[in-house]
Amino acid sequence: MLYLAVRMARHRIAGLIAVACATLGGASLVAAIGVVAESGLRGHPEPGRLASADVVVSAPQTYRVPEDLPITLPERAGVPVGTIARLAALPGVTAAIGDVTIGAAVIGTDGRVTPVDGHNWSSLTLTSGTAPADSTSTSPAASTGASPAADPSPTASQAADPAQTGNPAQTGGTEDGGRPTGVPDGADEVALDTATARAAGVTTGGTVRISAAGSIADYRVTAVLDDAGPGAWFADQAAITLSGRTENRVDLVALRTEPGRADEVADAARALGGGLAVTTGDARGDIADPATAAGRSMLPLMAGSLSGVTLLVIGIIVGGALAVSFSGQRRELALLRAVGATPRQIRRLATRQALIVAAVSAVPGAVAGYALAGRFRELLVALGMAPAGLPLQWSPLPGLAAVLLMTLTAWIAALCAVATISRMPATEAVAGSRAEPRTPSAWRFSSGLVVLAGANALAVTPMLARNEAGAAMTAMAGILAAVGLALSGPGLLSLAGRVMARLLPSRAAASTWLAVANTRGYAVRTAAAVSTLAVAVVFTLTYALTQTTVLAGSTRDLADGTHAQLAVTAPALGRVPSELAGAVARVPGVTGAALVGGTTVIWTYSMLGDPVVEAASAMVLDPAAASVFDLGIRDGDLSGLTGATIAVDAGAARARNAGVGDTIDLALGDGTPVQARIVATYERGLGFGPVIVSRDLAAGHATGLDQRLLVATSGDAAVAAAVSELAAARPGVVAGPADPGSASVSPELWLNVAVLGVLLGYLLLGIANKLITATAQRRDEITLLRLAGATPAQIRAMLRREAALIWTFATAGGVGLAVLPLVFLSLGFLGRPWPAGPWWLGPAVVGVVGLIAFLSIELPGRRVLRTTSVTI
Amino acid sequence: MIPTLTTTAVTLEHVSKIYPGGVHALNDVSLAVEAGTFLAVMGPSGSGKSTLMHCAAGLDTPSSGKTFIEGTEISHLNETKRTILRRGRVGFIFQQYNLLPSLSVADNITLPLRLAGVAPDHAWVRTLVERVGLADRLHRRPSELSGGQQQRVAVARALVTRPAVVFADEPTGALDLRTAREVLDLLRTLVDELGQTVVMVTHDPGAAARADLALVMADGRIADSIPHPAAAVLARRLTELETE
Repeated sequence: MLYLAVRMARHRIAGLIAVACATLGGASLVAAIGVVAESGLRGHPEPGRLASADVVVSAPQTYRVPEDLPITLPERAGVPVGTIARLAALPGVTAAIGDVTIGAAVIGTDGRVTPVDGHNWSSLTLTSGTAPADSTSTSPAASTGASPAADPSPTASQAADPAQTGNPAQTGGTEDGGRPTGVPDGADEVALDTATARAAGVTTGGTVRISAAGSIADYRVTAVLDDAGPGAWFADQAAITLSGRTENRVDLVALRTEPGRADEVADAARALGGGLAVTTGDARGDIADPATAAGRSMLPLMAGSLSGVTLLVIGIIVGGALAVSFSGQRRELALLRAVGATPRQIRRLATRQALIVAAVSAVPGAVAGYALAGRFRELLVALGMAPAGLPLQWSPLPGLAAVLLMTLTAWIAALCAVATISRMPATEAVAGSRAEPRTPSAWRFSSGLVVLAGANALAVTPMLARNEAGAAMTAMAGILAAVGLALSGPGLLSLAGRVMARLLPSRAAASTWLAVANTRGYAVRTAAAVSTLAVAVVFTLTYALTQTTVLAGSTRDLADGTHAQLAVTAPALGRVPSELAGAVARVPGVTGAALVGGTTVIWTYSMLGDPVVEAASAMVLDPAAASVFDLGIRDGDLSGLTGATIAVDAGAARARNAGVGDTIDLALGDGTPVQARIVATYERGLGFGPVIVSRDLAAGHATGLDQRLLVATSGDAAVAAAVSELAAARPGVVAGPADPGSASVSPELWLNVAVLGVLLGYLLLGIANKLITATAQRRDEITLLRLAGATPAQIRAMLRREAALIWTFATAGGVGLAVLPLVFLSLGFLGRPWPAGPWWLGPAVVGVVGLIAFLSIELPGRRVLRTTSVTI
Repeated sequence: MIPTLTTTAVTLEHVSKIYPGGVHALNDVSLAVEAGTFLAVMGPSGSGKSTLMHCAAGLDTPSSGKTFIEGTEISHLNETKRTILRRGRVGFIFQQYNLLPSLSVADNITLPLRLAGVAPDHAWVRTLVERVGLADRLHRRPSELSGGQQQRVAVARALVTRPAVVFADEPTGALDLRTAREVLDLLRTLVDELGQTVVMVTHDPGAAARADLALVMADGRIADSIPHPAAAVLARRLTELETE
């Protein structure tokens, strides 16, 4: 059988080359996705400052969802300071170091701003390169918050003995009654690394201006450290205060252990309880960089859906190519049946051809996939889908999986493709071995129509739900419509062919008449081409125009809802100085100034009795927001946005059965559960998001506070100048015109578009291949026509008219199916019946489809004509 | 020796056909087929009978010599011109029926007229379908017909343009004895009643015996010309040639 499979395959090389190309490309895609997925599963960001810690204790960075995957939290929750002493007391622990990290920036005397991470002094041992002396090891961090001044600090010993550390900058001996110099003690003291100090133009004993967590203050430089990484070290308690947490907490606790006792210590730390996460080894990187960790947890999920779609499309392409190839081998397969091959043997023969081809081409494909993985990661990083700090993991697993999956896909596709041929009785196999036209099944036709109707019904959703979930239904309707079209295509086409045949004038050119007759007679064959091309049109139009329309809708929301003319930002400082809001508001002519930030909230609500947990990005605003935003308030008032309060999109509130005055349970971005009262509901949720959190509530739980200060003015240029002047007086602060901004489409959607684009290209190549093979296999039919007296020119005209019919039907079907969903979407989101988006998209799609239809019929048709002699 | 051109349907003058590789399929063959006669061409495999038909019908061009259909020389015409002449003046019947599966019986029959851009003569088409006995099956697809019925559709299609000559290449090769006889009867009546010229290539001495004249070919030449042949005579002659 294998011998036969190979021998027969050699004569049908064209169809199998298509299978080879599909599996080659598919395997490389799946392998590349697999490498990225594995990196998401097993890879960890660099531990960075935590590299010197043996065990890391932190708050859990996940939010548990019942019966679902946990949500990875983007913000840090922190560990109570009291825990440090308990950890330090564990047997085997040589040091327990509490760590606090704050976004900060050093402002030089010349006004230059140098962004730098701020830390607590105790955490210096993590990076200073000098291990603390044993006698002082556990005390500094354990003392955090208790009595920092009383205890010697790890770096105190260094500072006291400059010769030991070789740090020329740290000179000064002792002062203030024997307290070691260098240790920042008061809330107004700081230690800097050499590079930062030089950039700021200060030396030990000098004064430096630092912006930390939104407040600018002058600090006395107690030490300049040249053996630590870049950073600014505040007194322990000062750092905790700056971090904004209301409770006395550090970000995490790093433990050093006696050699070989890390695991033992980790177990002991876990046994302490208190809901702490204990991490060792590479996983420390996740704690060091929670944003990257949150990003990486998405990768396996995304890879799952991506490779699923890829396998589906490859399966369709391979199945299509094989079906064409097998129908070309019908005569041979039928003969085999006649001489005694069982249907099972025929299936084996056919699947083995596919298996050989798939296995042979999947291996180099998978190898190419490894090369592709780096590019794929770059794409994901550029889209914001994957964290930049995550290294790729290399193992043979993704490659093996890709080869196995592609071979399996090809095998299943081959089984489906050969099913009808292998089931035929032997006699019929011979009699029916000329590819006779089949009559489209009535059941298939009517079920396709039902699906089409369902798709259009589903497309009404965006009229009712004006949010991204509603818009997703438009794309969903597109997919359903494609399925419906694939089902009802042959029936619709033979119907259209009958109508056309009746309408065709009897004096129509023979080639036209033949093209119509073929379209109708070979409805199944033609419909395969038509529906695939139509699917390409539907997908492109609904997917692309849904994105652009939603984008236009939210951009319009933002533009209509933003009354500010000016925006003050401080990119180098990380946060707009909070006092600036008051200062700007006092400028005559300024009608409003509000700080705007962003975070994530997790809202658990009950839907049909089941708890649903949803994470949503939320704006962080204070009551002043009412003066710069018009959110389209439906109920309530933004002036109440103080304390534990939120404002909610009216649609979201309705869906959650909540209203103004209700108190609901929320979790903040760091997982802290809170109860918040709804003070307002608003209309413009598409642009402003489903939830707005009060600044009071988010403070201490979010790092993205006060990203912008939006200013509404009387419009007078002098007012703008005054505001700019105020901003310019503060280094690192910039004032500019308020761009309400175009809302950004979520990266997942862009990724979907990108992947769909690739797959569509694939799909189009697949259909082109199918058309080419099918045309090349019409040699017999073309010979017959030539014998009946058709000139080569007539045959060419016939083929061209068939291509034109395919083009027309595909365009009409595709555009027809996309119109209704897009009209509904546009009415819902823009209040007009046509979508937003580039006008050339439609013509471009139609053009590409036409080009494919014409070229993939014309070129092989010419070849067949050239090589067909009339004699048989 | 050569009859006047106007009374012959097909004429070959010193026709030779050499295939690439130097195979002499036809070697200086001259032949005239009188209008209204039934000619059978016989011979062992490789004797050149198929090549003779292809050259005579304008499906192929001879390497040297001239061929005429109703006095029009076709050997020097290009492919398109030969096609146009063929579809008007020549009909074909093949062993494998060669009907287009996507077209109905009626559409298959009128296909050559459509290709020529000529409106069908409805009376003539009706006469034809009645004569071949398919009047009740005009809207069927070829796949719904038996082999004999399909061959009768092919006969009707060959005649629809009122061609000068119908070439039949093993028309009974795929049929059982009874159906084969029906098809031969049909061809015979076409000659006798409609004055149709028919040239039939066949292996079957029984089929050739229905012709007015049988040519026996060997090695690219006409070995014998037997008027009103008897099947037994032809069979004997063929056996002789095949054992030579």
